[in-house]
Amino acid sequence: MEALLTNLLHALQLSMLYFLLAVGLTLIFGLMDTLNLAHGGFYTIGAYVGWRITTWGGALLAMFFAEPGLNDFEFNRVALQYSTEFFWAALIIAPVFVGGAGYLFQRYVLHPLSERGRETHLDFALLTFGLLFVIMGSMELVFGTTPLSIGMPALLTGSIDLFGLNYPVYRLFIILMGIAIAILLYFVLDRTVWGAIVRAGVDNRDMVLGMGINITKVFAIVFAVGTGMAALAGVIYAPGASITATMGARILVVTFVIVVVGGLGNLTGSFYASLIVGFVDSLAQAYKPTVEIFGTEIQIDLELYGIYILLAVVLMIKPTGIFGSKGAT
Amino acid sequence: MSKPLTLESAAWAVAALVLLLLLPMIFSATTVDWANEVIYWAILCLGVNLVLGYMGYVSLGHAMFIGTGAYFLALFVDFAEVPLGWSIPLVVVGTALLGLVVGAIVMRVNRIQFLVITLAIAELIHGVFHQIRATGGDDGHSANDTWRVDLTWFGGWDTSESTGFYYWNLLCLLAVMLVLWRFLRSPFGSVLVGIRENEQRMTSLGYNIAIYKIIAFAVSGAAAGVAGILYAQNLQSVNPEPLTWQVSGEALLMVIIGGRKYFIGPVLGAAFYIVVKHLLESITSEYIIFLGLAFMAIVAFFGRGIAGYFVDLYVWAKRRAGVGRPGAPAAEAGE
Repeated sequence: MEALLTNLLHALQLSMLYFLLAVGLTLIFGLMDTLNLAHGGFYTIGAYVGWRITTWGGALLAMFFAEPGLNDFEFNRVALQYSTEFFWAALIIAPVFVGGAGYLFQRYVLHPLSERGRETHLDFALLTFGLLFVIMGSMELVFGTTPLSIGMPALLTGSIDLFGLNYPVYRLFIILMGIAIAILLYFVLDRTVWGAIVRAGVDNRDMVLGMGINITKVFAIVFAVGTGMAALAGVIYAPGASITATMGARILVVTFVIVVVGGLGNLTGSFYASLIVGFVDSLAQAYKPTVEIFGTEIQIDLELYGIYILLAVVLMIKPTGIFGSKGAT
Repeated sequence: MSKPLTLESAAWAVAALVLLLLLPMIFSATTVDWANEVIYWAILCLGVNLVLGYMGYVSLGHAMFIGTGAYFLALFVDFAEVPLGWSIPLVVVGTALLGLVVGAIVMRVNRIQFLVITLAIAELIHGVFHQIRATGGDDGHSANDTWRVDLTWFGGWDTSESTGFYYWNLLCLLAVMLVLWRFLRSPFGSVLVGIRENEQRMTSLGYNIAIYKIIAFAVSGAAAGVAGILYAQNLQSVNPEPLTWQVSGEALLMVIIGGRKYFIGPVLGAAFYIVVKHLLESITSEYIIFLGLAFMAIVAFFGRGIAGYFVDLYVWAKRRAGVGRPGAPAAEAGE
């Protein structure tokens, strides 16, 4: 029973991480019809920028507060201790930085190109795909190939009692973050003028333009928000895992599965699909039952492909995704 | 469709062929190794471009075909103990069947979904071969004997060394090109171009476009399967590496850089990519930055790729010589 509850919470935690990526991708696709294949790249940059902030912050503090006369090794150890608390700074700065980069990319690269008549979705998908490779290469060039990690801040270490279960605070933090972002997004999109503009842009772009709204700016801001959330996911994920240049690749494929299962461009769909895919992925890793076929015991290990089977089944039944894609009737 | 085969283009083809035949005599042994690498990539790219350039669908899953092609060869020769001469056609049939099955799953979706789903299915197959213990899982499996075809009966043609293997590769490349060229110049090829330009119109004209898409995907997969055979023969081993999404991605980069609108584009792209990659490798291991940027520039500003530049150069030279009619349109494959 306890094991089941732990697994379910783990699944929820994974779902929320996926949601942070999927919702950005969905927002961007819903509004601009651009499938941002570089999304995993922005996630990777987020994690690396987060790492840079924590290490620089730690070194800076150590320079002022460490006892004088330490040798390099001891100094680095002190700097590392200080660096963990800069996770909170990274949580804010990295998304802003990456979101800014996303803003510039949409405003000054993608949009001018669409103005020049290169408006097919596929050209943009290809362009961002090239960017993904460029980002992965650049990260390796700048930060090297050794996996890096961010220390866990004090507030997130240890575990707390939850329904009579000892659950890590860090994982609980991810769950709460995901839910908070989901509620915030729902509020902004559903209850504010900004949200109304975005929703109108998804439904009928020309009409929004006709109302005298600067759609170029809206596009760039939404792109920034989407990529910023990818970076946020990158920073959140970093203390629990290692940062590598290719970390964005696998999670990008999972995110694609989510946006297709949820229906391309469908925001609520992407939330539910994150839950479905997160649970399938997580439980496929946790449960590997053995069955007996023709007298030989075979272990059903769906860890690597549970979600792809889900995708294939969904597509065979409903090609527009469970919750219907944008523009599909 | 493209212009009929003229005496002039035939002369160009013969000149290129002679150059390729003389390549091992002109250049060093390293170049021959590079050429062997270029050829299996070129064949993979020809397969990718059948779907991308002619049908207008971006596939991010062709790694599944080159990967399973390599694994099928290993499974047939080393595990099922089928003679090598029979294994090769069986592998081609096997990858074509895989293409039929996958094509049947993906043919109902739109272009954006197609990209995502081919990627997902390729990852699925990657996962499967990653786990199969019989073929060594992640470590892969080395050839029990040799997987290279024994052609010593043909004037002592020795495929076990690099130069001899190069000619075998070249033979395969030409065979694949000939088959695909014939396939794409048939009415079937015209229907594919029609699907690229306007699917609804093709449906209205009474074509069952689903069947066309599935068959095109299968043929494309079979071509990539041939690339898998050459990959396995080149390494004399198989591993899950050619099944990764990076392989599909790099093939896409090559096709776009080479020029998706031209039949020869993928081959030029593969050659350019591999040569640049090896030249840059001596400076930096992050060659992908440069190639990624080149790719982005070509997508953004010059969709016709290297082949397009060649055509422009050719037209310009002709005009300068006063032979070509001014303003004669450049010949584009499938247009």
